[in-house]
Amino acid sequence: MSDYSVVGKKLPRVDAVEKVTGAAQYGADVHPAGMLYGKIVRSKHAHANILSIDTSEAEKLPGVRAIVTQDDVPSGRRVFATNKVLYLGEPLAAVAATDADVAEEAAELIKIEYEVLPVVQDVIESIKPSAPRLHSDETKDGPNRRNINAKIKELSDAESDDNQDTIRKLQAELEKHQDEIYYNISAETHTEAGDVEKGFADSDVVVEDTYVIPRVHQTYMEPHVSVASADSSGKVTVWASTQGPFAIRSGIAGTLGIPLTQINVIGTTMGGGFGGRFGVIITHVPAVLLSQKAGRPVRVQMTREEEFLDGRPAPGCVIKIKTGATKDGHILARQALAFWDSGSVSGASIGSTIRVRGVYKIPNIKIDAYGVHTNKSGTAAYRAPGAPQAIFAGESQLDDIAEKIGMDPVKFRLMNMREEGDAVPAGGSEPKVGYKETLEAVADAAGWWDRTVDDNQGWGVAVGDWTNGCGPGGVYVSVHEDGSARIFHGSMDITGTDTAITQIIAEILTVPYENVTIRRGDTDSAPYSTGSGGSVVTFTMGNTAKLAAEDARKRILQLASERLNTNEDNLELRDGGVHLITADPPKSISLGELAAFSLSTTGGPIVGKGSFARQPSTPALAAQIAKVEVDPDTGRTRVLKLIASQDVGFAINPMAVEGQIEGGVVQGYAWAMMEEMQYGENGNVNPGFVDYRVPTSADLPTVESVIVEVPAPNGPYGAKGVGEPPITPTLATMANAVKDAIGIRVTELPIKPEKVVEALKNNGHGK
Amino acid sequence: MSRSNTSFGLQASPKHPVTLNVNGDEHDLLIEPRKTLLAVLRDTIGLTGTKEGCSTGDCGACTVIVDGKAVTSCMVLGVTASGKEITTIEGLASDGELHPIQQAFINTGGYQCGFCTPGFIMASKALVDENPNRTEEEFRFALGGNICRCTGYTKILEAVLQAAEEIRTTHREQAE
Repeated sequence: MSDYSVVGKKLPRVDAVEKVTGAAQYGADVHPAGMLYGKIVRSKHAHANILSIDTSEAEKLPGVRAIVTQDDVPSGRRVFATNKVLYLGEPLAAVAATDADVAEEAAELIKIEYEVLPVVQDVIESIKPSAPRLHSDETKDGPNRRNINAKIKELSDAESDDNQDTIRKLQAELEKHQDEIYYNISAETHTEAGDVEKGFADSDVVVEDTYVIPRVHQTYMEPHVSVASADSSGKVTVWASTQGPFAIRSGIAGTLGIPLTQINVIGTTMGGGFGGRFGVIITHVPAVLLSQKAGRPVRVQMTREEEFLDGRPAPGCVIKIKTGATKDGHILARQALAFWDSGSVSGASIGSTIRVRGVYKIPNIKIDAYGVHTNKSGTAAYRAPGAPQAIFAGESQLDDIAEKIGMDPVKFRLMNMREEGDAVPAGGSEPKVGYKETLEAVADAAGWWDRTVDDNQGWGVAVGDWTNGCGPGGVYVSVHEDGSARIFHGSMDITGTDTAITQIIAEILTVPYENVTIRRGDTDSAPYSTGSGGSVVTFTMGNTAKLAAEDARKRILQLASERLNTNEDNLELRDGGVHLITADPPKSISLGELAAFSLSTTGGPIVGKGSFARQPSTPALAAQIAKVEVDPDTGRTRVLKLIASQDVGFAINPMAVEGQIEGGVVQGYAWAMMEEMQYGENGNVNPGFVDYRVPTSADLPTVESVIVEVPAPNGPYGAKGVGEPPITPTLATMANAVKDAIGIRVTELPIKPEKVVEALKNNGHGK
Repeated sequence: MSRSNTSFGLQASPKHPVTLNVNGDEHDLLIEPRKTLLAVLRDTIGLTGTKEGCSTGDCGACTVIVDGKAVTSCMVLGVTASGKEITTIEGLASDGELHPIQQAFINTGGYQCGFCTPGFIMASKALVDENPNRTEEEFRFALGGNICRCTGYTKILEAVLQAAEEIRTTHREQAE
């Protein structure tokens, strides 16, 4: 038990009442006087040349106030397509009208002439020469060609005639790898440590598989929305549903050539984000353009269908992975080649391929990762971006190795985990992290060591690692004459972070939790704040809040020493007041009295300021165990038990931490078992909740969470970011449990019933 | 491809006079027949606590109670709700006191982003009013029409069971 009185406690959240009464203001709840309704006109084809866009009929419709296209974008940044569309639903224009239905009708009246082009939706097809090109004919080399070309270059640079023979041989070798000339590549990254070939040669067991992970949507419950109001002076106000108002401000400024300080972004209560709510051009820029043209406020709100067509989901990928280990259980080498589906633009978390390394001591590693264009929307972050995909491949294969060498999967992992002081591949040494403690905790809680199974049941385990980010933030705290404290800052609350900040400040100032209130400012008023993503907020804003409270504390003690006419060393701040510890009888002064006193002092009111940008973070581990039962006739997998442990450093609010773990696990479960954005010949074919099934309470039992606390040296009270880690191992946990139940490895997600039936049939089990 | 959120994609036609009884208040309104109850509540009356998550009746964020039954207000035309008793999330707390279900969601941390919460609370209220003796398994199944993306449902179920227990206790005390 901690000695703290506010942090570490399961306190109700600061936004509790507004959220359960419907009073919280989300983006679509904003309705300024005279507001118009915007609608984005979208491509009806997944790949086509645009021959013409005719807005004349739409302009004539009564109630239409503005129509904008790419011609209205001063920077030329692609907001609307002009010559060519690259995916179904890509924006071509936007309209604003006096009524949502009129805007809809006007959008339908805009005539677009298309010349339809061949479509490519699959990364493995897209890299082939036969694939249609999205952007250019440029090619990139695959891993073997890269190696050979590097050798050729080395030898050529040596300018020795002796090398000519070798070079010719290498060039002949190069010819053999024609299939490694990749088209439609949007990005690439390569990492190597040690010598994987030697590692595989020294291994007793080598396993190689290809894993396929689908594109899934973050499916935050609130669709993208923004309300923009441009006044005649050029000042623009944007009510934005976003994880990062300051990033939106600079994004709008850059895209539309508006001075930064002429834009005020007001972050509205966010209806979920999970990484997918940072986009600038999805609704914010169209809303501003329409408002500028119409001279009235405009709301642009996506439907759920539009979310699926033009949101920025998590990338799918194909990962070819190979692992070698000795028969006594030492992992010697791991190699991965990954193709990430980045859609029509570049990006797609390809750097996260390195997560296949996990938290293990693997001396030899080689990673080659490519982003590949397809006729789909671009992608964005989704809760530990890229990690669930890579860890699914890595942790699934680890189980197969453990099985081959006859080792318990938990013991096998424990044996290979890095320990404090071990060299970290990126440089430096491993800090103290509860890797083993976390895995042992979940194994104990699940009853792993004496687990039993009935027919068709199985157990699965996996671990996933992630390290929270860090970024700039600022916090002010004021103490008032009634003894209450008010916090002012600019970061978006992402499911509980305002509560954590409030708990930290209440702890330090010893003000009762319920007497500390928190206000978020807009970008015009609040100090700069990093976006609420990457599990940064509690780490960054928690540290910032601590600094602000300590600054206020200093002023409080200064005032008290003045007031009580004593040295500060004799004073103690506790229980909402300052106490003169040397006095007998005891003497004290309340914070309210000091705040009132401060108003007539030279130094002025009690205002603490905290400003912070970065400190090294510490990795976190999530470990999970599932018990499942698979019906061999229907292929349906039922979860009997799902337990998740996580090294959170320190849980500032254990209730909120449990909530993050439980939510992340269920999202991971869904990715493993249910969710998949499907693409047909003309783009996405399941843009709605009937065909894109997300889990409901009927799909799962209670998720149990186990909190492990190994403090992070630089986290506030030792806290680490908790939002992202819990999704990272769940895909593999589920796949490993299904494997244990049916004896067959399913390498392609989601593990839908039909896939299980098919797998059983192919292995001679089914009917 | 796209379909209007507010009107089922129906054609415009002259407005109709209707009287909607929402949270005990009578609203005499002139509305287009194609507008959904959700659009009327949010855009015409200005009660924005009821949320729009999908406009196809699949996510439950827009759940309100109409004549004692939980309905997804995006699937009901506003004109058809004339004369019926409608309760929205704004009508649940009374005399400054939160409803036990609202309080239970706070106690257990049964919400995170809060966007699905009004719908969940209204759906839970209809279920608990109808039968507070359901088991956890029955509540899990009965709440299957509402989607939450943040909580993983564990704490929502805790909240509903806690509220049901409290309501059962109140019923018992009233009976004695």
